[in-house]
Amino acid sequence: MLTREEGEEEQEEEEEAKGRRRAFSINDNVDLLAEILGRLDGRSLAVAGCVCRLWNALGRRDSVWEAVCHRHVAGGGSSAAGGGCSTRSVVAALGGYRRLYRLCIGPALDRLAGSAGGRGSTTTTAAAAAAHHLSLSLSLSLFSIDCYERLGGRQQPPASLLFLCKPVDVS
Amino acid sequence: GRSDRYFKKKKEKMKRGHQDILHGGGGWYAVAPEMERGKRKTTMGAAEEGGDVDELLAALGYKVRSSEMADVAHKLEQLEMAMVSSAATNDDALLSHLASDTVHYNPSDLITWVDNILSELNAPPPPLPTPQSLPSADAYDLEPLPALPAPATPLVLGSDPQSEVAPSPRDRKRMKVCSSPPSSSTTTDAATSAAAALPVVVVDSQEAGIRLVHALLAGAEAVQQDNLKAADALVKQISLLATSQGGAMRKVAGYFAEALARRIYRPQPRGGVGCCSFDSVAFDDMLHMHFYESCPFLKFAHFTANQAILEAFAGCRRVHVVDFGMRQGMQWPALLQALALRPGGPPSFRLTGIGPPQPDNSDALQEVGWKLAQLAESIRVDFRYRGFVAASLADLEPYMLLDQDADGGGGGKDEEPEVVAVNSVFELHRLLARPGALEKVLGTVRAVRPRIVTVVEQEANHNGGTFQERFTEALHYYSTMFDSLEGGAAAAGADDGGPDQALSEMYLGRQICNVVACEGAERTERHETLAQWRGRMDRAGFEPVPIGSNAFKQASMLLALFAGGDGYRVEEKDGCLTLGWHTRPLIATSAWRVAAPAEDPLSALAAR
Repeated sequence: MLTREEGEEEQEEEEEAKGRRRAFSINDNVDLLAEILGRLDGRSLAVAGCVCRLWNALGRRDSVWEAVCHRHVAGGGSSAAGGGCSTRSVVAALGGYRRLYRLCIGPALDRLAGSAGGRGSTTTTAAAAAAHHLSLSLSLSLFSIDCYERLGGRQQPPASLLFLCKPVDVS
Repeated sequence: GRSDRYFKKKKEKMKRGHQDILHGGGGWYAVAPEMERGKRKTTMGAAEEGGDVDELLAALGYKVRSSEMADVAHKLEQLEMAMVSSAATNDDALLSHLASDTVHYNPSDLITWVDNILSELNAPPPPLPTPQSLPSADAYDLEPLPALPAPATPLVLGSDPQSEVAPSPRDRKRMKVCSSPPSSSTTTDAATSAAAALPVVVVDSQEAGIRLVHALLAGAEAVQQDNLKAADALVKQISLLATSQGGAMRKVAGYFAEALARRIYRPQPRGGVGCCSFDSVAFDDMLHMHFYESCPFLKFAHFTANQAILEAFAGCRRVHVVDFGMRQGMQWPALLQALALRPGGPPSFRLTGIGPPQPDNSDALQEVGWKLAQLAESIRVDFRYRGFVAASLADLEPYMLLDQDADGGGGGKDEEPEVVAVNSVFELHRLLARPGALEKVLGTVRAVRPRIVTVVEQEANHNGGTFQERFTEALHYYSTMFDSLEGGAAAAGADDGGPDQALSEMYLGRQICNVVACEGAERTERHETLAQWRGRMDRAGFEPVPIGSNAFKQASMLLALFAGGDGYRVEEKDGCLTLGWHTRPLIATSAWRVAAPAEDPLSALAAR
């Protein structure tokens, strides 16, 4: 039977051991990790999804992509809670923030950065967006058109957003 | 590869009169049998030589080194042009000379064969039965061509290697650089020797380009003067000259030449859409979709109109939009989304879509409505839809558009009245084909008391004056449109825009055909300028509503997203927005409301 003193000693030892074994791991703080990932740009976030299962799961959370979207477009970040709620439900109905970024905001930012880069300015997409005020409303409009095209089983793949992508060289 | 391009060029030449864009990749298979029929086939003979012989041609019996392919193609083009132009002038001298007096080499050695023929052409020819005088180099300056006697003067196109013409960026795009073989004679040489009436086979693209425009304008003049024989000869010249150009100019010239030819040969075109082999509405819709997807004009129209409608609907709980040209309904998802997210929440939304009758009785209008209803439901916007099939907008009556559910069932008089918006994208100009139709439609619009009427139209006058004026205007307008299509493709880094660009060009080509070849009720593409529409709307009792800066910003941002967006310009003009290419506005969006009636002094007194 352990005396109380010995029990405490053992506890302390265990805690010290734990402390030695375990440095602070971000993976233990999922919400903090999500907060951090939400500050990335789209490409980095997509890459982050390849790190491990946990990061992959986080990279699929629409709330993370919501933060990314709002950070990269004008007029989205400062919406009131009520407005944010309805925006969230509309975006969810149209396909989600991750999809919104992948189909509209990402290509749009690339296109703007490309044209801005040509003029020798900074190539960060955030700067390009700020310079050109890519608005959430415009992105959502384009997104809704694409969503509409996918309804009703079109024979050809929807093409209303093709103008944002580089053309494929088929020669 | 290079040989593909060679065969594509050959195919284009052979199908010169027809816009057979849909043949696409099957081209070289179509060419091969014709070549076999035409030429004497020789056996392959000896094994291939050291340099790599082009395999495709070798399969046909021709030995051409791959390194020589471009050269051979170029020379064959020149030869063809010479032969065709002489055929156009009904001049047998060249052909009989080639047939009887020339020594022909073995055609399987293509390059030697064609070199030989070309040197025969450029050598001093035997005296011709009818000496023809040539226009001097001065005739190439900017003066209208005199009425031509039939047959038309043979083309003499010379190149001056010493000329220092700096092409403008526009010309540079249109020029295909051709090197001049040393055996060519210059214009001046040809002019001095009166007997040298054979066409010189060297082409200076820039000069040919000027000549092309002249020929087009002269063709229009000839048609105007009912000189159909001259017009016919000019159309052939146009087709010929067009082959020397590249890119937009060639295609525009092709469409205009075809339209002129139709006007000459088929004064009574059949079919309502006019001037096209495919009269189906489904094909029309398909072209429209491709035009929507590949260039910004329709998106600009939709976005700016939607913004005006959105602002007009601010604070209203029940709204109704009437769309004069429903088609695939691509305008409305964005408006539904914007209404869903507006502060205060979405209104109750009703949409009335007007569309033409479908020949196969399919209910396209209802399908579109169904899709929009699905979208509206997913974003929780209360949505009602009604489709109307009408051959012409003039068939509409106000009672069809007014809310018929207001008195039955619902809240009756307690409910807020509907606020109406009427939207017309490229639809109003069709009404000008029948007298009185526009007035009737505008009367119907006034009768539903809309809060806002959005009108998008082409910014050009293709409806006034004489045929010649219309032709000239259309030539400038569609050249700019085609330039913008080319500009978009070039900026996107593609060699050509691919099928989307070709289909968009076809979409525009049908408009060209209608403007040039049709008359009377058939000619529905009666575009008018913004100033003209202002006058019409004014007379019909409407006053302008300025389109706000939000629309301008959104439109500018939209254009920035298009590759080649640098060439497009959004401008604001008296409260209306125009989208143009460089300095030329191409389409204009305007907004209107019913003008407040002038104050009647008696009723004002009674009110007090």
